[in-house]
Amino acid sequence: MSDSAQSNVTSSKPFPLASKPFAPDDEAALREALKRCSPSTFEAAVQFRKTGNADHMPAVVIGVIERFVEPDLRAKLKDADDDLRLIEDLGIDSLTMMEIVILVEDVLQLTINNDELRNLRTVGDVKTFIDCKIRGLPLPRPTKFLPIEHIGAVMPVQPPFLFLNEASVSSTGANGKYRITGQEFFLQGHFKDNPVMPASIMLEALGQLAVLFLLEGAPLEPGKAIGANTIYFTGCEGVRAHRMCKPGDILTLSIKPKRMKIPLATFEGAIRVGQEKAVIAEDITLTFAYVESAVAPAMINGALQPMPESDSSSTPPLRVAFNA
Amino acid sequence: MPRVYITGLGFVTCIGNDAATVAGNLRALRHGIELFPPFQKPEIMCKVAGTIKGFFTDSVDPEDWTFPSTYAIKRETIRSMAPHGLFAHCAFLQAVADARLGEGDISNRGTGLFAASGGSPMLTYFHHDRLHKLGPARSSPLGIVASIVGTLNFNLVAAFRIQGASCGFSSACASSAHAIAYAFEEISLGRQKRMFVVGGEDGNRDAILPFAGMRTLSLQTDPELASRPFDVARDGFVGTGGGGVVVLESEEEVARRGVAPYCELVGWGQASDGYNVAISHPDGAGSRLAMENALAAARIAPGEVDYVNAHATSTLIGDISEARALEAVFGGSGARPAISSTKALTGHGLSLAGVMEVAFCALAMREGFTPGSAHISKLDPACEGLNILRSTRPAAPRVVLKNSSGFGGANVALLLRAT
Repeated sequence: MSDSAQSNVTSSKPFPLASKPFAPDDEAALREALKRCSPSTFEAAVQFRKTGNADHMPAVVIGVIERFVEPDLRAKLKDADDDLRLIEDLGIDSLTMMEIVILVEDVLQLTINNDELRNLRTVGDVKTFIDCKIRGLPLPRPTKFLPIEHIGAVMPVQPPFLFLNEASVSSTGANGKYRITGQEFFLQGHFKDNPVMPASIMLEALGQLAVLFLLEGAPLEPGKAIGANTIYFTGCEGVRAHRMCKPGDILTLSIKPKRMKIPLATFEGAIRVGQEKAVIAEDITLTFAYVESAVAPAMINGALQPMPESDSSSTPPLRVAFNA
Repeated sequence: MPRVYITGLGFVTCIGNDAATVAGNLRALRHGIELFPPFQKPEIMCKVAGTIKGFFTDSVDPEDWTFPSTYAIKRETIRSMAPHGLFAHCAFLQAVADARLGEGDISNRGTGLFAASGGSPMLTYFHHDRLHKLGPARSSPLGIVASIVGTLNFNLVAAFRIQGASCGFSSACASSAHAIAYAFEEISLGRQKRMFVVGGEDGNRDAILPFAGMRTLSLQTDPELASRPFDVARDGFVGTGGGGVVVLESEEEVARRGVAPYCELVGWGQASDGYNVAISHPDGAGSRLAMENALAAARIAPGEVDYVNAHATSTLIGDISEARALEAVFGGSGARPAISSTKALTGHGLSLAGVMEVAFCALAMREGFTPGSAHISKLDPACEGLNILRSTRPAAPRVVLKNSSGFGGANVALLLRAT
């Protein structure tokens, strides 16, 4: 991971805060720079520049993004979760992304390199990225987008019992999608003439996404890889089903790790259909074990690398390409 | 060889932002020249310009611009425009409506767009100044496409999803005449069935004042007297900007759509002075050859031409040089076409001039008049052998010759014929 390691080193220098005090001139320049952003964006930027408190950063970043999004799409940003995608959901092209970056750099007084931009695909990616830069933390691993071929290759679970069509894994969790086709074998009997996705299967789908996170996410301990055949379900708590899911529905799954210490990993999980809540699980716990690193299979080594170029089947995150 | 017709026009000019206003002002010889506020400083010797009304584009930030509310342009479209990109975009929409083109008629393989502008000196300066002061990392990602020569075609081709031929033309004040000429070729060679030809100029301080360095701008402070081609007291040209669009279509396409064209574009010619980088040939050698080439290509005899819309910009040397060329082309045959320069009303639109003035001619042919050459109180004796039309004639010309000349001694002549 030579490239990304390099950029992590160069870009994780602590932000030189309070190198000079925030003067009235700076406030005027900030007001001018943010003149097309909401007043709260400007306020957050002033607070950030005065105090260096990174808590103000998300409001600035979201405010800047909002200013560049076409008015009819801004509503999406209002109640956005971190999975909202910049290109697909907000219509931000790579040139607009550059406009956003230049304004964020200007307002937050930091420098963002081109290679760092390529990994920013969601609003959450942007927030996490800026937060790390400001706090001088190492940059998170980029979100990996996994097509079905990749998922099938690494997962111990296989069709017809694999309930993920696509997935993405970041440092903070994993997201996935599954479309209920109506051809699932168990829908023939669940229920008679009334196919409804069993809640237990939906829980299984969340568990599978958690397995994918363990296999494809950042290593828990350096140099140690989790064995695909060592992961099993141990328990879950706080499960509630809110909505019946039927053929044609697209399940949007997300899991976030809560506690991870060998041999147990606990996640919270949720499934939505569109904007509607379908299933919540407060705790899903899996057991796992490391494989002997000396005999670690090539695939798992491969998973530690940044996604190779074969990722091109998914939408490229940011193509700064000009027909100049 | 398919014949080529003009079927649509669009105008954002100092004498009007729609065809009806432009036609009214052309006929009545009402000019669009004013004392230009940015010029009212002691160190600026030139004071007047042909001003665009109803548009505010002084800011380097397109989101600050204001323009007539009949035009709605999204941020993602306007963000990469120069001021003349906005003018031309609005003129383009007019031309589309005027030619009665549907959405499917614009974005297809058979429809192209040629454009001409001098780029945007104002934005070039702004972005380079930022580059020098703040470094390349803080340079606007859209600075280049908004400012370099070519900005007009980049923006319009993208905004209107043009799929056919697209190109920019750069021969200074002959640019948009060249663009029309080569658009004619695209259609007559059967490569395209329709071409948009677009010209634009910012017409602001940064676009006009560099000509003061050459001492070619009129120093007149009276807008009524500043632009007076062929007058003995003329003292230079008046700068102007704006946007102009002409829609050219093949005979077949005109028939298929059942539209009534303004006129036919019959042919064209070009030639170069081979003389000086900025000064016209004293005898108008290149201009003469361009006109002769156009007449030969269109198989039109000099005697058939009944109106010449001259390039004449109101400069001392240029007007005489063109007068001598006209004398040489028409004098021998005894033909005395009416001659006028509509730059007396608009000033000189530089890269915009050719397409704007072809559009004026097309409009006059449809509206049934021949515009006169305004502001002449004493004709330059060197022009006495020519039939310079001093007032508007209430009859449409049948055959029109349009001259355009640019730096480097580039000359283009276009021929229009009533249908």
